Amino acid sequence: MSTRRILQGEPAHQQREGPAPGVGGPPPGTPQDPSPRPSRSASAKRQSPAPSSRRPRSARRVASAVTASLTALACGALLFEAVWTRAGNRANTWWTTLSNELATRPVDDVWILTGAAVAAALGLVLLILALTRGNRGKLPMKVPAGGPAGMRAVVDRRSAALILRDATMSVPGTSAARVRVGRHRIHVRAEVRFRDPADVKAELTKTVGDAASGQLRLAHPPKQTIHVRRSPT
Amino acid sequence: MMRTTINRVLLALTGIIVLGGGLLVLAGGTAIYRHWNLTPPGGWPLTSEHDALVPHGDQTRWAGQNWWWPATIAALATLLLLALAWLLAQTARGRRHRALPLPGSPPSAARIDDTVVSDALTDDLRNLSGVLHARATLSGPRSHAEARIDLTLDPDGDPAPVLDSVAMATQRAGQAIRQDVLPTHINLAVARHASRRAT
Repeated sequence: MSTRRILQGEPAHQQREGPAPGVGGPPPGTPQDPSPRPSRSASAKRQSPAPSSRRPRSARRVASAVTASLTALACGALLFEAVWTRAGNRANTWWTTLSNELATRPVDDVWILTGAAVAAALGLVLLILALTRGNRGKLPMKVPAGGPAGMRAVVDRRSAALILRDATMSVPGTSAARVRVGRHRIHVRAEVRFRDPADVKAELTKTVGDAASGQLRLAHPPKQTIHVRRSPT
Repeated sequence: MMRTTINRVLLALTGIIVLGGGLLVLAGGTAIYRHWNLTPPGGWPLTSEHDALVPHGDQTRWAGQNWWWPATIAALATLLLLALAWLLAQTARGRRHRALPLPGSPPSAARIDDTVVSDALTDDLRNLSGVLHARATLSGPRSHAEARIDLTLDPDGDPAPVLDSVAMATQRAGQAIRQDVLPTHINLAVARHASRRAT
């Protein structure tokens, strides 16, 4: 499972007149940051440390459902066995075998050690799931200033990459672009058909930075890595 | 976000128990105490690699006591019910009515269904320009509703102005149920589209 969303952009045949809407310049009030590395501390200074600027915690529904099911299954089996034997029936084979194995195998037995190792790994996974934030595919957005309290917004990285790709394609000279949005970095690969690639790169840097903080309103605009190359055609 | 907290606390608790048990057995099975010249405290289980996990003596130690079976069955039943409740909490989204305070009437005079509010909010959001799909759901305890909004934008949609309009829409929804602050979680996505060159 890839944690990076990849988008391949090839120009379609229709051409649009004029610059794309919304990417000609940053919206008023957006601090312009043409530097390719808007550092974390710089973006933190620009805004008050609102709780909404962090990625929301995942509810961990799947992990909880699986753990709850397994616990319920184990408890159910033991409960059934307890009631079954108390009602005067003979214990089932699985129970007699299990309790016999547990009583006779020493703890340096391969099966016991394997089971213990699996249990330790599983416990570690559960602990990590409980303590980490999750929602790794989402990027937190800045909520409108003066908006309602308690509002949080996230955009998924695949969608962020789509919007940034559109912004990239609005730069004159770009003929194709690939944009990947990681959690901490935006990777742009653009092909340049005309103009000086260095100029295009400079404009891409500014455009992508503006789109990330202005149009996308990311709370922490990731750093950028921009590669340009001449279009082979 | 009550459920998030509960889920994470229970997951951490289960993780600690399972990890601790595994490590205890691993420590005994690999004779780590002897290799590292450690002396475990008195009564520590599994100090030698020849110990059995649950010897026959332990298995039947309390079986003769008259409290053992009722206690075991009660404990297992409680644990089973708790696990089932935890499992159901992951899906349960029952219809909930909220008291709708009206001026000049007792607080319980009018009630409004959650789905009414969330449907109205969804309609509001779908009519915003640049929005392709929208779905709003309301959850949370009676007097502390929370909204969750999933939005998909048009290929041409611009997140920033849409977010401003969503803020206004949720403010209206909050006013409708007389809640000053309606905590809202917005999940934004953009419809997939081919890239276009704009030169």
